[in-house]
Amino acid sequence: MPSKSNRAVGRYGGKAVAVAVALLTALPAYPLAAQGDLDRLAIRFASMTAVTGLEQAMTDSLRALFPGSVRDRAGNVTLTLGQGSPKRLCTCPLDEVGYVVGNILPDGYLLLRRVGGGGRSASPLFDQQLEGHRVTVFGTRGAVPGVVAVKSTHLTRGRVATGGGAPDPVFTVDNAYVDVGATSAAEVQSLGITVLAPVSLAKRPQLYGERLLAAPAAGRRAACAALAAAVQAKPTVKGTVVVAFTVQSLYASDAGLASVKALLGPFDDVKTAVLPARYADTAVETVALADADRLVRDIAQWMEGR
Amino acid sequence: MRALVAVAALLTASLPYHLAAQDAARVAEAQTVLAPLVESYGVSGAEGPVREAVQRLLPAWARSETDTAGNLWVRVGQGSPVVVVVAHLDEIGFRVTGIRDDGTLELENRGGFFPSLFEAKPALVHTDQGDVAGVFLPRDSGFTRRTPPPLRIDVGAGSRANAMARGVSPGATVTMPKQYVRLSGTRATGRSFDDRVGATAQLIALRRLDRAALKHQVIFIWSVREEIGLEGAEAAAAALGTTPRRVHAIDTFVSADSPLEPPNFAVAPIGRGAVARALDNSSITPPGYVDSLVRIARARGIALQVGTTNGGNDGSVFTPYGVVDVPIGWPLRYSHSPAEVIDLRDVVSLADMIRAVAETW
Repeated sequence: MPSKSNRAVGRYGGKAVAVAVALLTALPAYPLAAQGDLDRLAIRFASMTAVTGLEQAMTDSLRALFPGSVRDRAGNVTLTLGQGSPKRLCTCPLDEVGYVVGNILPDGYLLLRRVGGGGRSASPLFDQQLEGHRVTVFGTRGAVPGVVAVKSTHLTRGRVATGGGAPDPVFTVDNAYVDVGATSAAEVQSLGITVLAPVSLAKRPQLYGERLLAAPAAGRRAACAALAAAVQAKPTVKGTVVVAFTVQSLYASDAGLASVKALLGPFDDVKTAVLPARYADTAVETVALADADRLVRDIAQWMEGR
Repeated sequence: MRALVAVAALLTASLPYHLAAQDAARVAEAQTVLAPLVESYGVSGAEGPVREAVQRLLPAWARSETDTAGNLWVRVGQGSPVVVVVAHLDEIGFRVTGIRDDGTLELENRGGFFPSLFEAKPALVHTDQGDVAGVFLPRDSGFTRRTPPPLRIDVGAGSRANAMARGVSPGATVTMPKQYVRLSGTRATGRSFDDRVGATAQLIALRRLDRAALKHQVIFIWSVREEIGLEGAEAAAAALGTTPRRVHAIDTFVSADSPLEPPNFAVAPIGRGAVARALDNSSITPPGYVDSLVRIARARGIALQVGTTNGGNDGSVFTPYGVVDVPIGWPLRYSHSPAEVIDLRDVVSLADMIRAVAETW
């Protein structure tokens, strides 16, 4: 079994990294979050849903994770570490593009409205990821499983031309009928589902390969997990660091971050936790948790002013 | 036939489904059998895990045998006329056809479905060394069409050698992770209800069967490779030849009970009982036999709908031997998707129909 530092050098390679690791371990100690802890945090965060503007369930969870944290009037969760100057901000946006219930039909089906996207338009295939898949509706009485209706393969036979040039339009949210098993609007309401209830694909993060994590918004969630892990490692903060898990980054303006700056700023420096992701904006957006390991160290060093 | 449909409509209308305590217990029983079958994986040609799950759920007295095709048989009772009931074990999915230099896997479909439902979703490669997790790759171009280019899988290997080191090889079957999930009321969702519901109903019918009441032999078959051309049933039909009098394929009634489907046919709402699948793409049941089925349902107080839908059924390959195919289905929404939806009361109704047919017809 290799030692901790040897293992780290082996993973990242290179002289510079070896020096950095030596410094990390030699300096006034803070226990770096174990790899397993980071992986668990990343999977936990990736399992959560935080439709932009409707992030409360996830922010509740973050507040439970960090006693002493507060939720500001915009909904951001902030935690202040250290004191004095410089005063810096380390942030990660936790929200995601998602859906809300837009209408409840008399036969118990729900219709949806997409929420979020910020300044960019959603991928033409974004909504198609819903079709024929399980979703979760977050009602006032808890999470309610449902599915988005899809035509039955068998019943399209002989009805749809399949030759070249045949229409093959992508699925859009306007065709998304959510079936929660209810047979009436009253039954839907008895489940705690009302208009504006958040809706997302059912989240079941998938680990594959060498610590690759696939899930909707996996990049953001793993970055937030790295920030959380860095805080849990209790770094010796230089001056004051405000840690902010921000909301509403994907709506018309980045209102969450702007609120933090307006309410707790000004800041001498701002660092945003970001991770590279492949298959971005899909249900299998993938991050390498080895990259998240590096981000934890990077954030911790930044907090310590190194 | 019109009169028959009217009778069936009256029948279902006169049997409102209120979930009494007895019904609740039956629904719970159906779920207990169905859930483990749904959560077993068995793409056509690789049905082993499902067959083993069925064997575990058989009543203790049942003696099963597996034929060379892979079909599972249980024979009950003795004498003529022999009657066969058959539900299929397999599910739609993919098979690995090649491994690229970059370690991604090329696939072919096993069965008919919309490939767009698998694009950019988690994947499972079923190998001799266990399941290997991966993802179905999203397309990198051509966003304007619903249908993706041929799907591939990334298992995070990075190279062909690494993929093979994980046990992946051409021929391995591929699915997506699945889960049985209860919805509101008596409804549930999952993938491969087609035809785990049929397999479940046969198991429950066997468990509840009054063997002393049987007047002839009934052969229960759980067949393989239905989704790729009724291959398992073909082998069973050839083995039995002209011996059986009737065959009852116990399979999905693909229902138009959805806001996305035209109501021209396949109108059998979920929650209103089993369905006499009187006409599909592979067989037409003689009207007199449909009448008999309706009479049995009425005599036993079992909810039964009558309808016509698309698709083929295992019983159809028995008909060239002079065996009458009287398929009995159960209504399914969103067939061959990862989010099929059923009503568990229909599973109960289906099991009761199978039992009634075995004991009285």
